[in-house]
Amino acid sequence: MPNKKSSWGWFWQAVTGILLILLVGLHMVAHHFVAEGGLRDFKQVIEYLSNPVIIVAELAFLISVTVHAMLGMRSILFDLGLSARMERFVTQASIVVGGLTVLYGFWLTYTILAQGSAPTAFLFP
Amino acid sequence: MSLNVTLKILRSRPHQAQRYETFNVNVPDAANVLDAIEQAWAQHDRDLMFRHACHHASCGTCAVRINGAEKLPCIAPVREYIGLEIKIEPLKNFPIVGDLVVDVASFFQKQEASDFTITRPTENELDGRPIAHTDGLDSESAAIVPFNRFENCIECGICLSACPTMAADHKFFGPAALAAVKRQLDKTTDANERAKLLQLADDEQGVWRCHSAWECTEACPQNVFPAESIMALRQEITAQRFKNFFRR
Amino acid sequence: MNLYRPELSRFRFLRWFDFRTWRLGMLAYILNRVTALGLVLYLYIHLVVLTMLAAGPKSWDPFVAIVRSPFFLALDVILLAGLLIHGLNGLRVALTGFGCGVRAQKPLFVALMLFAAIALLIGAIKIFTG
Repeated sequence: MPNKKSSWGWFWQAVTGILLILLVGLHMVAHHFVAEGGLRDFKQVIEYLSNPVIIVAELAFLISVTVHAMLGMRSILFDLGLSARMERFVTQASIVVGGLTVLYGFWLTYTILAQGSAPTAFLFP
Repeated sequence: MSLNVTLKILRSRPHQAQRYETFNVNVPDAANVLDAIEQAWAQHDRDLMFRHACHHASCGTCAVRINGAEKLPCIAPVREYIGLEIKIEPLKNFPIVGDLVVDVASFFQKQEASDFTITRPTENELDGRPIAHTDGLDSESAAIVPFNRFENCIECGICLSACPTMAADHKFFGPAALAAVKRQLDKTTDANERAKLLQLADDEQGVWRCHSAWECTEACPQNVFPAESIMALRQEITAQRFKNFFRR
Repeated sequence: MNLYRPELSRFRFLRWFDFRTWRLGMLAYILNRVTALGLVLYLYIHLVVLTMLAAGPKSWDPFVAIVRSPFFLALDVILLAGLLIHGLNGLRVALTGFGCGVRAQKPLFVALMLFAAIALLIGAIKIFTG
């Protein structure tokens, strides 16, 4: 095999996948099952995010789901039988898209928290 | 007793459109599909390209797809297809030389990468009881004769044809070659040799490329269990990485 | 040597869907792939929709009122189905890849999908009555 390269992709796909079972579980239960009316309105979202542990869990969810989605899309795209050049492009593109997704998620969390008069608002002067 | 069988064979030649051709043949009711293909060749079209050798599932030469599923036609009884048209196509994921004959060169190249030997020492137990392979030999012969048997893999290429990842990308090392790596790994205790073999499997196009569809194991006619070998290699490589990580 | 090379065809990936010989493992693989694509699509729709949340209660609360309708709740059930199938089957892929339950991959798939069906039923009732 030319261009031998060991790969951690599968390993991280599995690790983020197992993490996601817990984090998606939390996310779904919190936003869809225990939320009054089936989905939280703005006030309820702020209440939910008033717990710092929840913020950490939601950000961990954001990072794992992005890593998992990017590794997964990359391997599905590789299954179109790409040239080495296209494979490199897909890898780089998935890093860029994944990075932007996480940045956007952080910005979203910051903006929501900054707007609400949540007890943690003091973190965001 | 004999059976009338309809074969629908995919005909291919380089630079020509592929087409199905139907052959009606009469074979003994104990015949296998390979016998029917031979009848079609003998009675209808001497241009029909197919390949076979042993006729009893030990050479792996004749593998084709029968009604979509990879099979050894030499042991596929015709009577299992009574009332059906038997559609015969060459293995997938290989270049086609002509009709049912595919070019398996790449298969053997990948197989050789691990220095896979096709024989191995026999088991020294049977159903949990130890057995002596020296029974019936005089002491002199018993001391020098190493008893060997063949490896399970008959290198028929069926697993590569059944594998959806192989269909997507021929860069994948493939189930047979990875199963061969696992067999070689089982046969050696030499640390350098083992590291070399694990390095061969630890590749983006090696064990990590497999998507766990388990089709190779399902299709394998010889209990090689390639998918299980891939999983065992993943486990071993991951364990090795953790060991290396904590040793630093 | 002159060869006919369908294995290099640009459309070879369509062979994933050659269902003539699909067995349990192949079915699981296809389900995982289809749900994967659906979930990634949902993820990005979800992230775009959340700009409304970032814009504050004036834009978010009217939106929430709309998506609390039965039609959108039904879409939530589909999302839950995708998550359960992908998550639980993914658990099987991860476990077997780490060497656990390798010989039991088929019963494992059946058991996990039964569990997914029960969880989906309970989840659907929760979504509509909760």
